[in-house]
Amino acid sequence: MSSTPLIDIQQISYSYMLPRSGEDKAQSIPALREVSLQVWQEEYVVLLGHNGSGKSTLARHCNALLLPDSGRVLVAGHDTRDAKQRRALREMVGMVFQNPDNQIIATVVEDDVAWALAVRGMPAKEIRERVDAALEAVGISDLRELPPHRLSGGQRQRVAIAGLLALRPQCIITDEATSMLDPLSRREITQLLHQLNREYGLTIVQVTHLLEEAVLARRVVVMEQGRVVLEGPPATVFSDLDLLRSLKLAIPEPMALAERLRDAGWPIARTALTIDAIAKELAR
Amino acid sequence: MNEPVIIARHLSHTYQSGPLRKAALIDVDLEIARGSCAAIIGVTGSGKTTLVQHFNGLLRPTSGSIVVDGIDVGASGADLKALRQRVGMLFQFPEAQLFARTVYEDVAFGPRRMGLDRRAVRSRVIAALETVGLPKREYGSRSPFDLSGGQQRRIALAGVLAMQPSILVLDEPTVGLDADGREEFYSYLWRARKERSITIILVSHDMTEVAALADTLFVMHSGRLVMQGTPRQIFAEGDQLRKWGLAVPPLSELLLLLRRRGAAIPATAFTLDEAFEALQNSGRISKTT
Repeated sequence: MSSTPLIDIQQISYSYMLPRSGEDKAQSIPALREVSLQVWQEEYVVLLGHNGSGKSTLARHCNALLLPDSGRVLVAGHDTRDAKQRRALREMVGMVFQNPDNQIIATVVEDDVAWALAVRGMPAKEIRERVDAALEAVGISDLRELPPHRLSGGQRQRVAIAGLLALRPQCIITDEATSMLDPLSRREITQLLHQLNREYGLTIVQVTHLLEEAVLARRVVVMEQGRVVLEGPPATVFSDLDLLRSLKLAIPEPMALAERLRDAGWPIARTALTIDAIAKELAR
Repeated sequence: MNEPVIIARHLSHTYQSGPLRKAALIDVDLEIARGSCAAIIGVTGSGKTTLVQHFNGLLRPTSGSIVVDGIDVGASGADLKALRQRVGMLFQFPEAQLFARTVYEDVAFGPRRMGLDRRAVRSRVIAALETVGLPKREYGSRSPFDLSGGQQRRIALAGVLAMQPSILVLDEPTVGLDADGREEFYSYLWRARKERSITIILVSHDMTEVAALADTLFVMHSGRLVMQGTPRQIFAEGDQLRKWGLAVPPLSELLLLLRRRGAAIPATAFTLDEAFEALQNSGRISKTT
């Protein structure tokens, strides 16, 4: 871990301006209130919160899709307000959104992954190398010649991730990237992100409202009303389920069952958060 | 069980594009009881969307038959206009289909197109907005685009309800909503179901949701109906479901793992309470022996 954070969010506030029908003055809706957060190189951070808690707004500040009203965001030491650095910044920090179809442009998978490289005028040989590596990394080399519409939602999301990987980023931010997927694909995408983090040292910031996607993170940051309200390793953050319920988060039933059994005197380690881990504890 | 409102017999559908043929539905037999909540589950490409598109005549069978609320969808001269009034459809992200300047206008669009007079349209809009908890006096003249995502979705629901359908098909209705938004949406949907005794058909891959809501599940795989039953029956077959690319709800999965490790948990244990009881009992047994 280096001594400067990859993403350094310092006391930022941000409000959305909503035009009010029939009135001159726009209404200002505060979305972030003096938020500070550091994300370190090679870290895996989950931003957790219900809809409207501010987590997506915060994520969008990490690659200058939004700029703070006050405070500042440094990425690898550069202020996101510096327009000259913006392109380099977005290569460094890539973002995956909810609907992969909004991110897919080309008619064939490999062309789509090559797109951002081609528009940057990269030599063909290097493009090929990078596309091959990116498709390999997300496990869809065999689908390279298919049109994206023939793929499942999970596979399309992999195409979107491969397109970012081809730019050799330091960090990938996923904003509710699994919410349109079926439960198995959802799990596979989270597994893929962990694998990219482990094998390539890629920094991951995963934005989600699902606790089950946060259980294997290095650090969980819970947001509510534009503020960070809880932060720590999963075992700590998930030790008080009632608190999470009060933050309008749905508790996965296996965790709720473990909690009830623990209250009834069963010795279940608080670090057991996944289905497998809870099963192991219960079957001891 | 009530009389069936949808009856499919040997229903098949083959897409033909030039020389290419793809069998999307193969020999499907099913009955959905009036007033029930049925869920159709299956992975992408399993045929679930093709199936529900037959419910309102967007597609017609290439062989076999399907009768929906008394209308034979495949028959030549079938009254598709009447069918589409009886079968309301709410697709994914229905708020994307909102278009009017005000909430009232948006919800009134459907009934107006049915050719109802002004007074009838008005009373339907008022009732539909009431059902979804966004009463006309408060929301009628607001722009739908000023409302929250969850409210917009309820406006879209009101638009369908204003057509007074007897069957409501919802395709992944809560995708993208958080826990609260989901609960809210379903509480209003349930209110609509009760007030209007509508048959609800959910297309979903959220197993926890489906387990909690549906009376009957229909599992689609490669164009065939491969399993049907109550959620309790279906989710006891976790291994089989996984072969079809489907996950069981997380709690059922945990219980499955425990059974595999030799815990004495009945295959019928399904809810959180039942799981708790079963484990408490099995725990006591292993402690005393």
